Amino acid sequence: MKGAWNWTWKAGSILLLGYVILRGFGTPLQPGLVTATPSQLRIGTDTIVLAAAGQPFASEDDAPADFHVVLRAGDQLLQTETVEVTPHSVRLSVDVPATLPARALDAFVFTPAAGTLFLGNACFVEEAAKGDIPAAVRADAPEERAPQLGFSFPYQPNIIESIRNLLWHVPMWFAMFFIMGLGFVASLAQLRTDSADWDMRAEAAVKTGLVFGLLGLATGSLWARWTWGAWWVSDPQLNGALVTVLLYSGYLILRAAMGDDDRVGRLAAVYNVFAFIMLVVLLMVLPRYTESLHPGKDGNPGFNSYDLDNSLRAVFYPAVIGWGALCYWMYTLRLRMNRHAYRLLSR
Amino acid sequence: MTLVMKAMLLLNSLEGFFFGSGKAHVVTGVALMILAGLALSLWRMDRRLTQLEKASREDNH
Repeated sequence: MKGAWNWTWKAGSILLLGYVILRGFGTPLQPGLVTATPSQLRIGTDTIVLAAAGQPFASEDDAPADFHVVLRAGDQLLQTETVEVTPHSVRLSVDVPATLPARALDAFVFTPAAGTLFLGNACFVEEAAKGDIPAAVRADAPEERAPQLGFSFPYQPNIIESIRNLLWHVPMWFAMFFIMGLGFVASLAQLRTDSADWDMRAEAAVKTGLVFGLLGLATGSLWARWTWGAWWVSDPQLNGALVTVLLYSGYLILRAAMGDDDRVGRLAAVYNVFAFIMLVVLLMVLPRYTESLHPGKDGNPGFNSYDLDNSLRAVFYPAVIGWGALCYWMYTLRLRMNRHAYRLLSR
Repeated sequence: MTLVMKAMLLLNSLEGFFFGSGKAHVVTGVALMILAGLALSLWRMDRRLTQLEKASREDNH
């Protein structure tokens, strides 16, 4: 019975991760506006093309008249005429007035099937004087329609398709937290009992946790390159993550430097307790007191209740369980290796 | 960034660049292969450790 359960949860973790990969990369993204061309408009009649990413928001057969586009300047709306619609773009003609409440225009595309698409600061009218939009070209807000999209991931500006990295980057850090927490408990137990087995547990936890920490850093760096434009930025959350990984690397260096010294277990346990406290401070406390680009921190709420919608949750939670179980499996293997080596050396 | 996005959209304007270009299938395939390889190596390691532990227990008896 125990053997069957032992293989069930291990196979379960792999199956869950298989599901996460298939769902994570196989689910289309909801459509969202990406660019407006040209970004500078002239007073008079001008043409704009709004391009979208994600799944198509129109089919080739759709009539342009079904797609209402308005441009917002300040709190007033400017009417447009939809000229052409393709699955990923809409071309519109607009009479740009000489007076506008603001020089920056936001674009709203009201679609029959995909709901309302929005692009903030889509284009600018540098020549416009400050004033109201003339009544002749002012628009009323078209009627909102609920999107009728299938299972799809939410569109987030800047993040776009890279939202799928949420299923790798975040669960990897969660797995690292989980296994380093186990290591922390093992080190406390080691200090209380001076048992070699607790020491081996702590060492296995740190080694496994470091693998996931490095994977978390790598996936985070890739994500930063796409969304922020740099592989690394000087951000409290990112620097805290790096310092944490370096601190835990110090644990392994300490063990290697002390060799067979009898005190290695206790010293390493003290260091590990310190390292875990630093992990909590550097990753969970300090970044909340400072401005950070990283989601979930001060100044950038990021993935909150409306970003992480139900379709994303249906894959994210299995990913957390899958990566956590895989991490625990790797930890048990490392621990069993440690125990076997200890038995051989004790003979 | 905007230029890259524009270029990607122009290349695959009909179906969206991730799915329309077939990249999604390639990425899924590669990720599944990596997962299968990882699972296989962990499973083999697990089995070998079980054998070693069994042999070690028999030696002690």
